[in-house]
Amino acid sequence: MDFCGLRFENPFLLSASPCTDDLDMAKDALKAGWAGVVLKTTSVASEVVDLAYPMMSSFRVGDEGMVGMGNVDLISEHHIDVVEKRVRSLKRGFPEKRIGASIMGAAREDWEGLVRRLEAAGVDFIECSFSCPQGTLGSKPGAMLAQDPVLVRRVAGWVKGAARRAPVIIKITPMVADVVEVAQAVKESGADAVCASNTIPSLMGIDLDTFCPNPCVGGRTTYSGMSGAAIKPITLRVIAEIARQVDIPITGTGGACSWRDAVEFMLVGAGTVQFCTEPMRYGFRIIDDLKEGLESFLRVKGFSSPADLLGRALPHIVSHDDLPRLRVVSHVIEEKCIRCDLCHVACRDGGHQAIGLKADRTPETDEEKCVGCGLCVQVCPVTGCIELVEKGPLR
Amino acid sequence: MTTPIETSRMLTVHQAVAEASRCLFCFDAPCTKACPAAVDVAGFIRRIRSGNFTGAHRLIWEQNVLGGVCGRVCPTDQLCEEACSTTELSRPIEIGALQAFACEHEFLPEPRGAKPSGAKVAVIGAGPAGVAAAAELARRGYRPTVFEKTAEAGGQARWSILEPKLPRGVVEREIGRLRDLGVVFRFNVRSLKTLSRSRLRKQGFRALFLGAGLPGGYCLSVPGEDAEGVGSGRELLGRVAAAKTARDLRSIKAGKRVVVVGGGNVAVDAAKAVMRLGAKKVTAVCLEGPAEMPAYPSEIQSAWALGVEFLTRSRITEIISDRRGHVCGVRGVGIEWKVPGRYVPSNARDLADTEFSLPADRVYLAIGQCPDPAVAESYGVATGRRGLLKVKKRTGQTSVPWIFAGGDGASGGATVVEAVAEGKRAAEGIDEFLRSGKRGGKSRG
Repeated sequence: MDFCGLRFENPFLLSASPCTDDLDMAKDALKAGWAGVVLKTTSVASEVVDLAYPMMSSFRVGDEGMVGMGNVDLISEHHIDVVEKRVRSLKRGFPEKRIGASIMGAAREDWEGLVRRLEAAGVDFIECSFSCPQGTLGSKPGAMLAQDPVLVRRVAGWVKGAARRAPVIIKITPMVADVVEVAQAVKESGADAVCASNTIPSLMGIDLDTFCPNPCVGGRTTYSGMSGAAIKPITLRVIAEIARQVDIPITGTGGACSWRDAVEFMLVGAGTVQFCTEPMRYGFRIIDDLKEGLESFLRVKGFSSPADLLGRALPHIVSHDDLPRLRVVSHVIEEKCIRCDLCHVACRDGGHQAIGLKADRTPETDEEKCVGCGLCVQVCPVTGCIELVEKGPLR
Repeated sequence: MTTPIETSRMLTVHQAVAEASRCLFCFDAPCTKACPAAVDVAGFIRRIRSGNFTGAHRLIWEQNVLGGVCGRVCPTDQLCEEACSTTELSRPIEIGALQAFACEHEFLPEPRGAKPSGAKVAVIGAGPAGVAAAAELARRGYRPTVFEKTAEAGGQARWSILEPKLPRGVVEREIGRLRDLGVVFRFNVRSLKTLSRSRLRKQGFRALFLGAGLPGGYCLSVPGEDAEGVGSGRELLGRVAAAKTARDLRSIKAGKRVVVVGGGNVAVDAAKAVMRLGAKKVTAVCLEGPAEMPAYPSEIQSAWALGVEFLTRSRITEIISDRRGHVCGVRGVGIEWKVPGRYVPSNARDLADTEFSLPADRVYLAIGQCPDPAVAESYGVATGRRGLLKVKKRTGQTSVPWIFAGGDGASGGATVVEAVAEGKRAAEGIDEFLRSGKRGGKSRG
C-alpha cells in the first residue's frame, strides 16, 4: 500500500519512541515484520536532553491492568550524528522497509540542517515532532509548537522547503481547541502529511500514602504524556475531524493496541498506523497478530487492500442537528440474561426508571417510560443481551 | 480443577475473549514450554483476545494438527495450565478450553506447495503419532501414505476416547484437513505382509514411520481368565466408539454387574462407558491406592460421579465361571506394597483376611497394553523393554536407518499430544535422513 508516495508492505509502523531508540531494537522490529519505523526524535547537538528517572507510570483499571501508560520521557539522547548512521545502516540492511526519522529543533537552521543530513543518509520520510508534551518551548513550559497554527505553518514550511525528496509529516497534538485549524496550517505549509496524534498531557495518579503523584521522582513529579488504550477514542476523533475537513494524508497514532483498533483508525482516514505502547508492553512479536488479523478481516469482508478501508466510517459522522430522531426502546433477550440486573439499577438511578424486575429477577422494560437512551446496553456485561428496537420515527 | 471434567465444555465467544483477556502473554511463555507439541499458547490466546480466531486456529495447527482433539483430551492441569504464570495471581488460564474454542473456527489451510516432488514415505498406523508425522512430512514436500488397519484414522483418539469428552466430529474434521495437505490414507490394511520392507521399497517408499501403537493387552494370569464374558477394556471402548446410532449402542451387551480391572485411564474410561451403557453396578479393581492410580484425577472423579465404585490396593486372584463356562464373579484379596512407591504387581504382597468376592457377568481387563511383536519382527527393528521399539530420542530413528517410529509403540503409552510431538520429531528425522543422501534399505538393519 502507498502512503505519501512511499510503498509500505503493511500499514503498521513503530512510532518515534523507546522502541526505535536503539539500532538493534529497530532491526529486531523490522525483522519481526513491521513495515517501517520512525526513529525516536533527534535534534542538533546543542539541544540538551536531560532525562529524569523513573519516567514511566500507568493508569490501571481493575483486572484490565494498564489501560493507559504515562511517561515523562524526552526526545532521544542520541543526536543527529548517531541517528544519521542508524538511518544508513537500516536502509542498507532493510531496503524494502520504510525508515523514517523524527526531528525537533528550535532555530530555522536546526530544522533545515537536520532535514538535509537525514535526506543525505537516505531517510524515507521525515516526521517533525511539534507536540512533545513534556519538552519546553522557549519560556512557556509545556507549550507545544502544534498549538499555534501560525508557528506550525511557518516551521513546517521551513522543513518542507529544505526537503528535496523525503515526504514531511507533522506530528500534532490533540490538546488544541480546533485541531482542524492546525491540520489546515500543515496543509498550507506544503508539508505532505499529518501524524495524529501525540500523547495526552495527564496526571497519572497519586500515591495515597505519600501524596506524591506518579511517577514519583525523588518526591516530585511532573505531568506525563499518556498513551495506550485509554486514549484511543480521543485519537479516533482527531483523525476523523482532520479527514473530514482537510485533504491531507494522515498517519494515525495514539491508543491503537490491536488490528481492530488499526482498522478503526483506517476507517476514519488513517493511511498507516503507528504503534508504541503495545509493543513496549508485549514486544515486537505482536506484529504477527496485527498482520494476520487485518488480512483475515479484509478477506472476510471482501476487500483487496487496506487502502479500501480508508475513510469508510466518515460519511456516518454528522453534526448532532443532523442525527435522525427515532423512537427506540430497550429489549432484554431473556435467554441470554444472566440476571445481574445492572441494567435495572443503571436505568433506575441514571436513566428513566424504565426497567423493572419480574419475580425471577428478569429485567422488563416499560416501553412507555423507556426513551431508548441505550445506557442499559452499555452496562450489560453480556454481548447482544439487550437490543434497542426501532419503533419508527419519533415525529 | 480447571480441566473440563465430564463434558467437553465449549466456551462462547464472550467467555473465550474474557478468558483470553486474563492472559499475561508472558515472555518465553512457560505454557508453550510445557506443551510437548510446542504450541505457541500465548500467541494463539492473544489472537483470540483480538478476535482473530482463524489466526489462533492456524497458529495451533502449525504445531499440532490435532489441536481440537488435544484441547479436549490433554491433561492440561499437568502440562500448560500447571505452568501458567497466572496461577500465582489468581488461577491458571483455561488453555485447553481456549484451544478447543480456537479450533472450532475455520481457516484457509496453508497452500499446498506446487506439486509435491519429495520422496514417498510410508506411515503405518493412523493414530496421533502417524498422522502428525504424515502432516509434517507433507509440509516438508514429501508424499506420505498412511496405512491403517481399521476403517478410520485417529487411533486412540478415535477408538478409545469417547463422547462426550471428545466429540467424534472433531477427529474427523482434523483428519480431513490432512487430506488437504496432501496426505494419502489407505484404510483396512490388516496384514503387514502387504507392507513388507521389500514391497514398500519396490513401491518407491524411501522411508517408513511406524506408529503402530499398543494393540495388545496384558492378561492377569489367574485361573478362569479364559471364561466367556472376560474381555479387554480397550476393545469395549472400540466397540462403543464404532457405534453409529443409539441402536448400535444398545446392541453392545456390556454387562449389568461389571468388574473392570486396572487403574489407568483405559480402565476408568471403560468403567464409565459400561456405566453409561446401563450397568447396574460397576466396580473398578486396581492394585494402586486412590492417589497412586495412573488415571487422571479428573477422570477418576467423573467416574465416581457416574457411580463407578473403586476397590483399590486389591488384586484379582481368580475368575469364577458358571456351569456354561460364563463368568459369574471374581475373587480377590487386598494388598500392601513391599517397597513403597513401586506400583507393580511383583511388589504387591497379599494381606491376610482381606479376601473378597464380587458377582460379575462381565469382566474387562485394562491392566496395560503391549506392542504387536509382529511389527518389530517383520521390519527387523530392535526392541527394548516390554517389546517397545527402540528409537533415538531426537529423531525417532530405529535400528534400521530408513525406519523411524514414535507414539505409544515406542514410548509405552502416553498422551495424544506426546504422540503428536513424537510424530513431528520423527518427520524431522526422516527429512534429515533423506536429505543427507543416505539411501535407505541398502543396510539390512
